[in-house]
Amino acid sequence: MTDVLPLNLVIVDDDADVRVALRRLLRSMGHEVHVYASAEDYEARPTEADCLIVDLRLPGLNGFELRDRLRLRGSQTPIVFITGDGGPSPGDSAAHADTPSLAKPFNDCDLIAAISRAVTTCPGVQ
Amino acid sequence: MTLTSGLDSLEVPAATPDLVNQYEARPLSSNRRTPTATNRQLVVRLAVGRALGQARDLDDVYSAALDTLAECLDVSRASVLLFDPDGVMRFKAYRGLSSEYRAAVQGHSPWTPDSVDVEPLLVADVTRESSLERYLPVFARERIAAMAFIPLVSVGRVIGKFMLYYDAPHTFEDEEVKLAAVIAASVAFAVERRRTEEPARPREASAATEASAAAETWQWVVPAGADHDARQDGLPSATLRQVRQCNVESGADCMKILDLDGRLLFINRAGLEKLGVKDPGDLLHRSLVDDWPERERESLSNAIAQAKSGAIGRFQGSFRTPAGSMKWWDMVIMPIADASGAIVQILAVSRDVSAPWKAQAFQAGQHQVLEMIATGAPLAEVLTLLTHVVEDQCERQPCSVLLLDSDGVHVRLGAAPSLPEDYSSRLDGQPVGPGLGSCGTVMQLGRPVIVTDIASDSQWEGLRDAALANGLRACWSTPILSTQKKVLGAFAMYCDTPRRPSCEELRLIETAADLAGAAIDHHRSQEALRRSEERSRAILRAIPDWMFVLSKEGVYLDCHVNNPDGLLVPPEVFLGKSMRDIMPASLADGFTQSFERALASNEPERFEYSLDLGQEERYYEACIVRCDNDKLLSIVRDITDRKRAELDAAAQRQELAHLNRVLILAEQSGALAHELSQPLAAILSNAQAARRLLDRVPLDLDDLRATLDDIIKSDKRAGVVIHRLRELLKKSNTVLQPLDVNEVAREALDLTHSDLLLRRVPIKTSLSAGLPPVLGDKVQLQQVILNLVLNACDAMSAVEPTERELTLTTVADDGCVQIAVADRGVGIPDGELDTVFDPFVTHREHGLGLGLAISRSIVLAHHGRILAENNADRGATFRCFLPLANGQGDAIAGRAD
Repeated sequence: MTDVLPLNLVIVDDDADVRVALRRLLRSMGHEVHVYASAEDYEARPTEADCLIVDLRLPGLNGFELRDRLRLRGSQTPIVFITGDGGPSPGDSAAHADTPSLAKPFNDCDLIAAISRAVTTCPGVQ
Repeated sequence: MTLTSGLDSLEVPAATPDLVNQYEARPLSSNRRTPTATNRQLVVRLAVGRALGQARDLDDVYSAALDTLAECLDVSRASVLLFDPDGVMRFKAYRGLSSEYRAAVQGHSPWTPDSVDVEPLLVADVTRESSLERYLPVFARERIAAMAFIPLVSVGRVIGKFMLYYDAPHTFEDEEVKLAAVIAASVAFAVERRRTEEPARPREASAATEASAAAETWQWVVPAGADHDARQDGLPSATLRQVRQCNVESGADCMKILDLDGRLLFINRAGLEKLGVKDPGDLLHRSLVDDWPERERESLSNAIAQAKSGAIGRFQGSFRTPAGSMKWWDMVIMPIADASGAIVQILAVSRDVSAPWKAQAFQAGQHQVLEMIATGAPLAEVLTLLTHVVEDQCERQPCSVLLLDSDGVHVRLGAAPSLPEDYSSRLDGQPVGPGLGSCGTVMQLGRPVIVTDIASDSQWEGLRDAALANGLRACWSTPILSTQKKVLGAFAMYCDTPRRPSCEELRLIETAADLAGAAIDHHRSQEALRRSEERSRAILRAIPDWMFVLSKEGVYLDCHVNNPDGLLVPPEVFLGKSMRDIMPASLADGFTQSFERALASNEPERFEYSLDLGQEERYYEACIVRCDNDKLLSIVRDITDRKRAELDAAAQRQELAHLNRVLILAEQSGALAHELSQPLAAILSNAQAARRLLDRVPLDLDDLRATLDDIIKSDKRAGVVIHRLRELLKKSNTVLQPLDVNEVAREALDLTHSDLLLRRVPIKTSLSAGLPPVLGDKVQLQQVILNLVLNACDAMSAVEPTERELTLTTVADDGCVQIAVADRGVGIPDGELDTVFDPFVTHREHGLGLGLAISRSIVLAHHGRILAENNADRGATFRCFLPLANGQGDAIAGRAD
């Protein structure tokens, strides 16, 4: 059971091809999608979202730093990390602990599963 | 034929017997291959000698002088001036001077007849010579811009000068001045000689005329039936009467009357005196012919036979008198007939013509000496001839040539053929200095010493007894000097009476010393040449290289091969053949081009090539130089071992470079995975989106098409990454092509993009637009940039991320393109700037420290250079300079050293 209710989703990824493809995929599932090329870009024009899909390796602020800043500001928006490096390195595991992450390339069902798990486990969206 | 002999003829112009002719064939002025200075002087001496030898009078001497100047020094305008008895310098002969000019400068002289130790005066530019200022307008009208005053010196006294005139300011070369001095010495001698003889000359020609007149008379005076056999006084009385009547007895000529068999019947008193014979009985009834030296007998017999046949015979000959001096005779021989017309006796009238003959003989002798020198006769023979030539000019005055040993201390006997051997042998091997007669002092002081009486002169203490015992009473000695005025020895003339030498004798000694100097100089330079040739031959034997002499058309003329086994074909096959018949065509082309360059530049030309010898390929290096004007000397060395080592090293370098690239990629594997996972993620998401779009109703075809396009795009992007990886991982040979450095830099940065993100190193690029292309291997240059970028990242790893910055700059820079990679890291520690490119020097935690070393070897192989420097504020900058593709590479590589 992968399909969830239409959600407001935000994608932060510096790779344009990935951004366009993910937006197309998630929209085809009926979700509302906003895309940003960097963390700074998102912070400058944030939108209300049910879940953020954030690339870990970004120019400027990286995925972890964006999450920490949001949490610091009290935002509890659930986050799913995506990464091209085959998963976070051991040093990152602490920072990574409560956030699901997907290694590119990933299947659509794995993405939806991760999103729905994030949304359901996140205190704010229960 | 060996190469040694071939090289001799190529490089050694002198020491061939036909030297003289060789130089006759080429005017000196245009002779570009000037041999040694001594040789040139010899040639000039020969030319002067020849010209002066043909001179009949003073005017001839002057014009011979001007001819020689024109021929040997290439001056068209010249003059000869002599002091007249009043001490005024007057023109005697000139070329190319107007009468106005001569009138204007007549009488001007830098010297007086009393001047001593005069040297040539050289005026390179008349406008700069203040002493000539008042003549400037005259010079201007005559268009004289430079001139030389060459003094004519005889026995230390200035008798006149040569003038040489030039249209333009002229730089006088030492050689030129020396040659002028050589000519001046010969001409001064000839002038003095002629001046003393000139008054006596008109008489010479008249000997024959007088004698003929006498003969006319006698033919009818001798009465028929006279007592031919009367032996009173050894003469028929009628003849005697007639002879007296003709007053011949009191004349200066030697009169002889011979019988028809040529035996002497009568000789007059003057004749006895001339011959130095007191008692005519010693001569009477002897055959006249028998008293002459062998060489003269035939022509004398012929002349007598002519007289017997009724004609007038003429004979000229020379012999040495019992006293030892040379006498030249001009003899007219005529018949004496009785009244019936029958020839009964023969009258021979001889005139002593030694004076003019001596002069001519001296000229001829000098010439002969010079020819001997020029043809390389042994020095001892030359000097012996020289002493004979001088001795023939005097009476009982033996001469000697002593040489200063090359040790500068000891005396060696050069030649003294007429000195008693028990005396001359005492001189050899003695140290120079006073005590060894005059010559020891001369060689020590370098100036003439005239000893008028050996019996009382203190310098002769050591040798006095020996000299006196041999009848030597006076000794006049003068130093023999080299062209550089170094003492080579001494020429001495001895005399059996205590007296001073005459001017004539001093001139002889001076001339002889001068000739001896030329002979010794020449001998020494030949010796030096011979030794250097011997050294060359020894070198040739010692070195293993092959040498080939080729014509400019590429025909093998000669070779020197110590080890012919390695040759493609043996010498007997290729000598005389063209390179094109022996070598592969492409190689012959390469050689031909090198030949052309070597001929044009006169610089050694290097050419590397390889030959397939069936079993193996061998490598050679030819060094080609022009020789003998239009031929080529190719020195070939087998460099196979070196070449193989080089190739091995190159292969190893390539291996290392590959290893370096593998290590770079290993280090970059995370970043590369990232680079690949991005397009793969986009492809998968797009594909899955497309599947969902297919389920939509109605079908949105535009959306589907855009999705598929994106898939294709991302797939290609992944393909590019893989292609670049493959390129970097491939072991390929260097491929040089014109490259846009900016393009190379962009691709390298694309590869490392993700890594820089991960390392949190922001990169700034400043790529100059419109850079000229460089000639290079794309992969290798990318490797250089990657190494420099990674090195810069490492240098900044300990620096706060906000402080980090990597700048990559490309810029055109004076014939090359510069790539600079600057970081803001820790910089290079003091003292390590020099070693930073050495292999295995690393400050990085991982890696072998190969990156910078490999980068340098790549850049050097591109004829470029790479250097490291610390930035003024912080961090370091690595700059690499690559030559442009338009072929200025060598210049840049040269500068990189």
